[in-house]
Amino acid sequence: MNHKGDRPSFVVKPELEDMITSMQALNQLPRGMLRETRQVLKEAKKFNRKVVRPGALELDQKMHQDPNYLPWDFIKEANRRGFYTMFIPKLFGGKGYNLPALSYVLEELATECTGMANLVGVHWLGIATLTASWNMRLMNKIMRDVVEGEKVGDPRIITLAITEPGAGTDVEEVELLKKARVNCHIKRVNGGRLINGSKIFISNGHLSTWHMVIGYQDFDRPQETTVMVAVKTGSRGFSFGRTEKKMGQKACPASELIFDDCFVPEENVCFDAASVEEVPVWFGRPKKSVEEYTAQVIHYVLSTSRAGVAGFATGVARGAYEEALRYAVETEVGEKRIVDQEWARCLLAEMYKNVFLARLSYVETNYANSLFGMFRILHWKPLYYFLKFTPGEVLDLVMPPVLNRDSITWLIRKLCLDGQNEEEMRQTSGLASLSKFTASDFGLRNCQLALDLMGRAGVQHNQGAEKHLRDSKLLQIYEGTNQLNRLNLFDCLIGRDLPDVRTFEE
Amino acid sequence: MKADKTDGIYSSYGPEKAEELKLLENMSRDFAINELREGREERDTYPYAPLDLALFHKAEELGYFTLLLDEPDEKLTNQALLGHVLTILSMEDASLAGAVFAHSLAQMIIIQAGQAAMLDKIQDGGSKAMQKKKESPFIAFPCFDFPDNLARGLRAEKKDEKYFLSGEVNYVTLGNLASWALLPAQVEGKKGFSFFLCPLGDEKVTDSFAVLSLGLRSCPAVDLAISDAEAVPVGDIGAGEIYYEAVEALFAALAASISLGVMKGSYREALDYSRQRVQGGREIINWSELRMMLSRAAVQCRTSEMLVNRALHESELGIPGWEDSARAAALHVQEAACHVTSDGIQILGGNGYMQDYGQEKRFRDAHQLKVLLGHHPLRKLEYIKFAEELDLS
Repeated sequence: MNHKGDRPSFVVKPELEDMITSMQALNQLPRGMLRETRQVLKEAKKFNRKVVRPGALELDQKMHQDPNYLPWDFIKEANRRGFYTMFIPKLFGGKGYNLPALSYVLEELATECTGMANLVGVHWLGIATLTASWNMRLMNKIMRDVVEGEKVGDPRIITLAITEPGAGTDVEEVELLKKARVNCHIKRVNGGRLINGSKIFISNGHLSTWHMVIGYQDFDRPQETTVMVAVKTGSRGFSFGRTEKKMGQKACPASELIFDDCFVPEENVCFDAASVEEVPVWFGRPKKSVEEYTAQVIHYVLSTSRAGVAGFATGVARGAYEEALRYAVETEVGEKRIVDQEWARCLLAEMYKNVFLARLSYVETNYANSLFGMFRILHWKPLYYFLKFTPGEVLDLVMPPVLNRDSITWLIRKLCLDGQNEEEMRQTSGLASLSKFTASDFGLRNCQLALDLMGRAGVQHNQGAEKHLRDSKLLQIYEGTNQLNRLNLFDCLIGRDLPDVRTFEE
Repeated sequence: MKADKTDGIYSSYGPEKAEELKLLENMSRDFAINELREGREERDTYPYAPLDLALFHKAEELGYFTLLLDEPDEKLTNQALLGHVLTILSMEDASLAGAVFAHSLAQMIIIQAGQAAMLDKIQDGGSKAMQKKKESPFIAFPCFDFPDNLARGLRAEKKDEKYFLSGEVNYVTLGNLASWALLPAQVEGKKGFSFFLCPLGDEKVTDSFAVLSLGLRSCPAVDLAISDAEAVPVGDIGAGEIYYEAVEALFAALAASISLGVMKGSYREALDYSRQRVQGGREIINWSELRMMLSRAAVQCRTSEMLVNRALHESELGIPGWEDSARAAALHVQEAACHVTSDGIQILGGNGYMQDYGQEKRFRDAHQLKVLLGHHPLRKLEYIKFAEELDLS
């Protein structure tokens, strides 16, 4: 061990700003967001009461019997109740509720079933991916298709396809992407792109109409040649492979997607980082390198999706807590109700604390997303209130032709991608990782504590707690393992002050 | 882990016997790899796939279900050997070990009650009930609960010198495979609880569809509803607690042996995977955080192995205080197995969460096994009473 001096020579962070995101947000965010959040939570609670709770164990059991079963009934019901259009901005025909409220909705649904919460939440991961590109024309096309699907009772949900057989963690981090063994090739051809390769573990794959597929033009330089395209189910050359046999979250299928010379028309190319250099001069020269834009888009997506995972995790932590509390109140062991024993009271208090802290972590991340990340433009007060009070019919009439102009995509990208500096990106992404691993660790811990408290009843399927445990474990894995998320936090919030330290090298 | 540290457990035997026991150990290892690893995923879909009865019969032929009945030496039993066999089996699939555990626990309670002859009767299938049902040498037992707590749901009534059971009892292991269940019940007017052998073929005993559980899925369990079914008392009425306490510590050590096997299986799978899987341009074992996780698991496996071997060794020789060692080992190893198997999934990432690698099953099994012999926190709470001989209410 070789310590270079008595005291470190660099300035120790975090800065105060890193720790008071909520205080900074107080005056900047529209007050109407609270009312909206109450409204959507009310819908989520009603959905839980009528659909999720009565069906959660039954669906889980059905999937145990037949892992290839696809829960279309649930998808149709969620579609009918508006869960796939709730947070689509009114610009694109949606209901326009604020996106941070999504985390609360996901928490609420996951208290009963994380698998079903995923059937809703993964769609929003797809939307986030689409949005991260700020391709306004394609956003308008796909989101309006989702809205139309709700109107006609034909769900058209979206998923994200990024994980590959040889690359899981690697494709979640640009630094690792350089060395990733990727296999999904996207080639530029006349009039569009041609995809070859496969994706695995794609949540909701078999149930989705649109698949936001991340591929690479050059396997030797994936970090510089990343392309995102929207593939529609039914496209020639695109097929579904197997569904995985998962331990938990069984309601939500994890699919294999296979691309065999699958053609995607140019209009469905969502984002091609390499093409930023092809932008006409009058649009202005790009401020960042191709690699930096790629990193930014990945961070954009993950900063919102990881807050969503933290929402699921808080929900499963709360669900486990609620099951344990119910059991402790109703059950006697050793001639005493469990809740009347001090050790059990302390255990329940610990579980309550875990729920509370898990929630705080994602709330703080959402504030960061609103102030510095993907939600910023939508929460800019003039735009927020304009969209809120302008009738949807007017927007539907006026906006589509405007949104279809390339110049609008250029302008929004300029505002959002160039408008977010590196410090803002780091703060948002670092906090998102913090909330993801904090909440999912608490989620698993609470499930284990619930099983401890419930004894044999805890391991029986019909009591619910064991399902929460199985469901919770995946939260520590997807959207980057918790180990990768710890490294990302280090990179974003600690490593920034250590210029000689390269996070992903040792 | 280069080798299992097992030699010490045979040091109490003469060289000839030790050699014989080593042979059984090697045979068990082959059985685990050839029979238990194969088809593990399919067996785990029980109760929605048929139970692999052939596996139970092979285990029976190998003598696992009667290992504790054979005494290799005048002074010694096969406790340590059974513990080690359970560990070996559980490295591949703990369900069979769970079944051997439940059956052996029932056997030992019956022997403790001075009713060894009953075991012959069961083995021969001599009751009317057994003639109705396919003959089974197994004894069902609810080994995931405290018997005194279960006895509150089951009462025995004496009529004309015979006892009749009524009530409900949940999660009776082997309940749909055995012809008899050993059940705790309360007898009116008597303090404490008593054990009864209840014939499961009796029409007055209704069993549920096999319970879907978190782990040990192919170690079947059912809920029983009993309505005035004639049952045979085992030992003295009201003496159930004495019989149970006499064997509980040994079975704590055996429970620890099963958890140890699950933990070791998970560690080895993770180690193999980490040498093959490449991320960021190198094998993942070369990422130091991941290697730290593997090291933590290796430490847990080795220390748990030391605890289990020591506990079994002490119990076999009857070293004073061996019961405390056994209970402490169980409490520690059952908990450690949950941590190790959770990391065992984490190291494999998404693959670990899928059924193909066996890691998710080990995670589930480890959490199920934590409840073996009853509520884990309550057993922990009781431990101080036993260890320090405290007279606490």
